[in-house]
Amino acid sequence: MATIELRGVEKRFGDQYAVKPMDLTIESGEFVVLLGPSGCGKTTTLRMISGLEAVTGGAITFDGRDVTWSHPSDRDIAFVCQFFALYSHLTCHDNIAFPLQARGESRGEVKRQVAEVAELLQIGHLLNVRPGALSGGDQQRVALARALVRRPAAFLMDEPLGALDADFRETMRAEIKRLHLEQKATTVYVTHDQIEAMAMGDKIVVMSAAEVQQVGSPADVYYDPANLFVARFIGSPGMNLLSGRYEQGVFRFGTDQSYTVPADVKPALERAIGQGELILGFRPEAVNVQPSGPIASKVYASDLHGGYAMLHLDIGGETVVHARAGRGQRYAMDSEVRFDLDPEQVRFFHPATEEAIRKEQVS
Amino acid sequence: MSVSPTPRTRRPLSDRNITLLFIMPTMVILVLMNVYPLFYSLYLSFTDYSVISAEPPKWIGLENYTTILSDQRFWSHFAVTGRFAFLSVGLQMLVGFGLALLIREKFRGSGLVTTLILVPMMLSPVVVGVFWRLMFNPSYGIFNYLLGFTDINTAPEWLGQPVLALWAIVIVDVWMWSPFVMLLSLAGLSAIPNYLYEAAAIDRAGAWFQFRRITLPQVMPLLLIAVLFRTIEALKQFDLVMGITGGGPGDATEMVSVRLYREAFQGQFDTGLSSALAYIVLIVIVAISNLYIRQLNKVREG
Repeated sequence: MATIELRGVEKRFGDQYAVKPMDLTIESGEFVVLLGPSGCGKTTTLRMISGLEAVTGGAITFDGRDVTWSHPSDRDIAFVCQFFALYSHLTCHDNIAFPLQARGESRGEVKRQVAEVAELLQIGHLLNVRPGALSGGDQQRVALARALVRRPAAFLMDEPLGALDADFRETMRAEIKRLHLEQKATTVYVTHDQIEAMAMGDKIVVMSAAEVQQVGSPADVYYDPANLFVARFIGSPGMNLLSGRYEQGVFRFGTDQSYTVPADVKPALERAIGQGELILGFRPEAVNVQPSGPIASKVYASDLHGGYAMLHLDIGGETVVHARAGRGQRYAMDSEVRFDLDPEQVRFFHPATEEAIRKEQVS
Repeated sequence: MSVSPTPRTRRPLSDRNITLLFIMPTMVILVLMNVYPLFYSLYLSFTDYSVISAEPPKWIGLENYTTILSDQRFWSHFAVTGRFAFLSVGLQMLVGFGLALLIREKFRGSGLVTTLILVPMMLSPVVVGVFWRLMFNPSYGIFNYLLGFTDINTAPEWLGQPVLALWAIVIVDVWMWSPFVMLLSLAGLSAIPNYLYEAAAIDRAGAWFQFRRITLPQVMPLLLIAVLFRTIEALKQFDLVMGITGGGPGDATEMVSVRLYREAFQGQFDTGLSSALAYIVLIVIVAISNLYIRQLNKVREG
């Protein structure tokens, strides 16, 4: 399994960037997810790693070997794409056998390896059918089998579940995750679905507007977004954001509301902005509804999500924030609710640069 | 009680009647121009009849068919036609598909090149035939000159020797109709999604392997359609032969339809016999087409 390294890799059309110069290291056996809205350059990045798209700058190495200008076939990779890219005129068996036959494996060896992979993905009974007759999920299993049968150094997947039904997606997601753990294969996975990214990735690369926004574990990008884009994009709903002013340890916002900033972030805030405009962010689960809480709000709406309730709270008629609450309590529309925030989960952002302002590490 | 306005007496047409109204004109024309002649000529093929004689058709049963099928010369016409169809369709497939592979990639001026290649197909076959006859002429034709035969005494006489004369027609037919095969092949090639080649590149398939396992099977249905169309046309080949060789030398290039024309419209105007010959040609073409179509369906379904 390969370690993949991107150094200053970029893709430019004229003076328009499809991918701005990026650095990324994908460790051997790691599951890395490229996440972002459509048109953010994640698929282009993947295609550059595969060699299907030429870079306009930078270098790509596999295990230290420079493959920047190598043909896709010289990179020892497998590619699974959204629309499966199966050979419609061949049976599933021949589809899976294709890379082996292209390599010139003997007939017996091909048969043995196809059977082995088919067993792994439980598609043994589909081998004599043509892909056109299969459901989306089964087609994707065949595409996965074709990728797996080669035992490549890395798997590249471009929204492999994008064309599947929602419930099938859950199943396939688990299957891919399990396959990854069994094969310990370096995997680069592109998706626009942040839930998928959170569930599957060892490491998530959040991209937007042709640029890497943040690289980190699912927990990192969820709890510690590097900037406002990541804060809004990750989570459903995204992070709640309140605009206000920071003055002497207190965050003032709305109509005369204030929130005392946790002491450990103060030095960082003062260094970054001194006094002035600031954005405060918190996840719905950071909210503690309590009568003595510092923040006042009115219930705008509430809905029950099975295990928990999502409250939509109107703050001063300006902003609606989302808060997670226990499902026991009922909240009438327009009733007053006060809440506090878990100081560990409060984040701050610079309104101009949109970057996160993080508490300084005690060294 | 209110007085209702006088109801209009015209009843609306039923859906069925509207349908019939729309279909009838076509049906009438179809029956008059296709169905009636088809069956009338079938009847004539069992009679002794000539359109230029005053006598009515006389029923003679299968005699016309036995005459044709026991005449050595008719068999040789069929053999010539078959040989021509085999050679010309085969070469057209090779040249047409080859051209399609070459101009498949877009390049500067590829649209113009494609259009130019298609020009022969749009010409009138009789004009093409006459012009090629002039070009094949051993004393002043340009064809031999282009091939490098500048000495009249050693230059091949294209239209004077039986084997070469057939090849001459094959060459012209290939020149004229390869573009048609190319057009169909291009349609087939452009319908192959690019991701298949991407997948194949990643699967480490070489160029030849990709061609054999992806390109060929993917365009096969259209190639078979081209073969079908061109075979039917080749079996009916008439105008090029008339323009180039007129069936000669001797009857070396006398194809079935040329002979059919002679029986029907020259000499004795033997309408009965030529109807029988036409039916034999029809049956042969239908049979061959059926074989192709069966093959085509097999390729499509796998």
